[in-house]
Amino acid sequence: MNEAATPFQRFFRILVTVGPGGLWLFLFVLLPSLLVLLASFMTRGPYGELTGPLGLHNYLRLLESPYLQAFAQSLWVGVWATLISVLLGYPLAFYIARHPRRDLLLLLLLIPFFTNFLIRIYAWLVLLQKEGVVNAFLQAFGLGPFALYPSFAAVLLATVYTFLPFFVLPVYASVEHTDWQLLEAAYDLGARPFKAFFHAILPQTYPGLFAGSALVFIPAMGTFVVADLLGAGRVVLIGNLIQQQFGISRDWAFGGALSIFLMGFVLLALYLYARAQGERGFRELV
Amino acid sequence: MIARFSLLLLALLLTACPKRAEVETLYFLNWADYIPEELVRKFERETGAKVVLDTFESPEAMLAKLKAGADREFSLVVAPDYYVLQMAREGLVAPLDKGRLAGLANLDPFFQDPPYDPGLQYSVPYFWGTTGLAYREDLVRGPVDSYAVLFDPKAQVGPFLLLDEMRETIGAALRYLGYSLNTTDPEALEKAKELLIAAKARSVGFAGGVEALNRILGGDAAVSLAYSGDVLQARQEDERLRYALPKEGGTLWTDAMVVLKRGPAQDLAYRFIDFLLRPENAAELAAYTRYATPVAQAVPLLPQEMRQDPTVFPPEEVRAKLEYLKDLGPDIALYDRVWTEVKAR
Amino acid sequence: MKRLLSLHALLVYLFLYLPILVIVALSFNEGRRGVRFTGFTLDWYRALFQDPRVLEYFLNTLIVAFTSTLVATVLGTLLALGLVRYRFPGKGFLRYLLYIPVVVPDVVLGVSLLLLFAFARELLGFPRLSLLTVILGHITFQVAFVTLVVRSRLLLLDPGLEEAARDLGARGLQTFLHVTLPLAWPGVAAGALLALTLSLDDFVVTFFTAGPGATTLPLYIYSSVKLGISPKVHALSTLIVGLSAFFLALGYALSRRRI
Repeated sequence: MNEAATPFQRFFRILVTVGPGGLWLFLFVLLPSLLVLLASFMTRGPYGELTGPLGLHNYLRLLESPYLQAFAQSLWVGVWATLISVLLGYPLAFYIARHPRRDLLLLLLLIPFFTNFLIRIYAWLVLLQKEGVVNAFLQAFGLGPFALYPSFAAVLLATVYTFLPFFVLPVYASVEHTDWQLLEAAYDLGARPFKAFFHAILPQTYPGLFAGSALVFIPAMGTFVVADLLGAGRVVLIGNLIQQQFGISRDWAFGGALSIFLMGFVLLALYLYARAQGERGFRELV
Repeated sequence: MIARFSLLLLALLLTACPKRAEVETLYFLNWADYIPEELVRKFERETGAKVVLDTFESPEAMLAKLKAGADREFSLVVAPDYYVLQMAREGLVAPLDKGRLAGLANLDPFFQDPPYDPGLQYSVPYFWGTTGLAYREDLVRGPVDSYAVLFDPKAQVGPFLLLDEMRETIGAALRYLGYSLNTTDPEALEKAKELLIAAKARSVGFAGGVEALNRILGGDAAVSLAYSGDVLQARQEDERLRYALPKEGGTLWTDAMVVLKRGPAQDLAYRFIDFLLRPENAAELAAYTRYATPVAQAVPLLPQEMRQDPTVFPPEEVRAKLEYLKDLGPDIALYDRVWTEVKAR
Repeated sequence: MKRLLSLHALLVYLFLYLPILVIVALSFNEGRRGVRFTGFTLDWYRALFQDPRVLEYFLNTLIVAFTSTLVATVLGTLLALGLVRYRFPGKGFLRYLLYIPVVVPDVVLGVSLLLLFAFARELLGFPRLSLLTVILGHITFQVAFVTLVVRSRLLLLDPGLEEAARDLGARGLQTFLHVTLPLAWPGVAAGALLALTLSLDDFVVTFFTAGPGATTLPLYIYSSVKLGISPKVHALSTLIVGLSAFFLALGYALSRRRI
């Protein structure tokens, strides 16, 4: 704390440091969010503009079947993408952390990570086409060709592929910090390998697991690009719905409601999880 | 440290300088692959101006973009005929100052007073064409002569795509059911909606005109609704691609150029329109895209196989079965709702 | 067990690289479609370099990235400093506000900015959607990330050092420039690098805030894919992958040298 400064100096310093950034956040995060909230209560005029009357009709419309379905599908993608990421990424994080050449392995992991995600997504399009690589491979065994895309599986696959590095990195950071002596201690106390791991190591990786899962689950739920490119309109997630409302459907009011709904869901889920983990879990996100 | 900062600052200043240099720029919004680069360069050379081309995949997306504020960014837009009056009503387009367009006299008399824009108040025709079914003859297991290949599960001849254009696709469903393309009967629209939702589940997705043909060429799909000229263009790459008008009747459409009321470089926009109305330019444009030009004096300049191609210039008896898409006024909201629901599942 | 882990890791790495390698291979393929290798060619790369629009998109991407990173780093570093050093009313609220761009899906961010610009246009007559609006959008999510990264670095610093400087007679700005900033520098650099990466890679926010003439490479790739993938895009992608790999490898080699 700056005890040596006068109150005026202190005020000035707060203004200079927090002022610009804080003002930016107010203008470009808070205000737009409030506008979205406002729009969510408005109505779509005949030419797609936002007009009164204000009401809850957009939220009521949210509860209709196709929209709830889209939300359920988004949840489904999120959950499955996270589970598969855990399956693929958790052991990988350990492997890298315990490897003598782990710097190199990390580098190899980061290269796809730093590649533009659009490239990574459309790469799967190329692979999954009727006359694409996967089908060519299958045909060599006399199978197929199959219409592998558009499909939910294709969207899920590409989603996992896109977000897997996001999962591995925080988990890796956690694993790097684990105290392996606890494992030794568990063995000394007579625990068998699996139980020892479960009680001594796994809990230490919770912060990384939490951060990694969040970094997969949230974008996976909210993405529209993957479903757009690999779903070709047949897989509709909540992100696609939102994009449609602000695009071809020109229903900004309903789009606002969808956005508030998604945002609210995500914030609530995080808040509850963070509460369960304690503030520590929340901080580890950084 | 100071040196590095000043370098950064310099870079910032240089990059922040808007590229709206001394060169006047025409911002042109068009369908993808709808104008040859050489023609654009020709205009640039002639006028000394610069043309920035942006494309859209579907007319709905184009309209949404304009309504979201992009109508201040573009000077000239190519829009489907049924949008012209709607855009005028929504304040995007102002009446044409015909005095600046000497080239209007080059147009075929029909296009000087077309049904979608009587007296050419707001727009200038760009192309006309038809919408029908495109297919790869080696991938279909039956004749392609009806919308049933899309809508009747028993008549399906292969994997199919749905065109990502609201009026055309809903229109196809309506025609299949026996209604007019321009009906506002809620019952008809409801039935069309159900038909489309069922078709979507059996399809391999939605695609814009160019994308659909690329996917058929790539073997991902066998059939799709498509625009006549696009198919002819794509045939140059693969002769197995064919075009057929369904027996229920396809669409006859015109794409038209409109000048945006709030857009920049209006003068350049008019000059560009006049440029395209010149017979030699109109012919070059049509020869590239394989569409029919509304400029009467350009037709004799087209390559012979184009002039004689019934796909480009369908004969009278074929045209009689086709229907124009009309502006529906505020009733368009009914279609918007159907489309949103079809796309949302 | 060890062997199983190794096998698993190998498979995962293969999974990660397979699509990218296919794209790289196809960029040299003579045929425009399909995956049968019909011949080796550099034509697509030639076509890429001869396309003036691609160069423009590349420049746009760089302009947006560098401008927004610069602004966001300054704003974020200052904000982090203020959050760590001072107490003031509304601090808790500001901290939660900070998490929103980080946590909320891109779509919502993009859409909210679109709304903001639309409302601003109605009331004030500007801004038009352009490269500027893209930059504004990028700064918004970058600031949050920079602030969080710098903040975690600042929290590790010993405030005693700043006190010592003050005891020796240094004034506020001097303390900041000569003590705080150099100590926080690794965090600032990391934050700036993160911001740069996020901007170069961004698609969704750019999608909603870009106007004509503001196309960036990700937007170009997206519309190319929607129209029908041409090997030109494969060539572009290969170059991007190559560049990223190069810079990463460079960073790796440098960090090993310094220790």
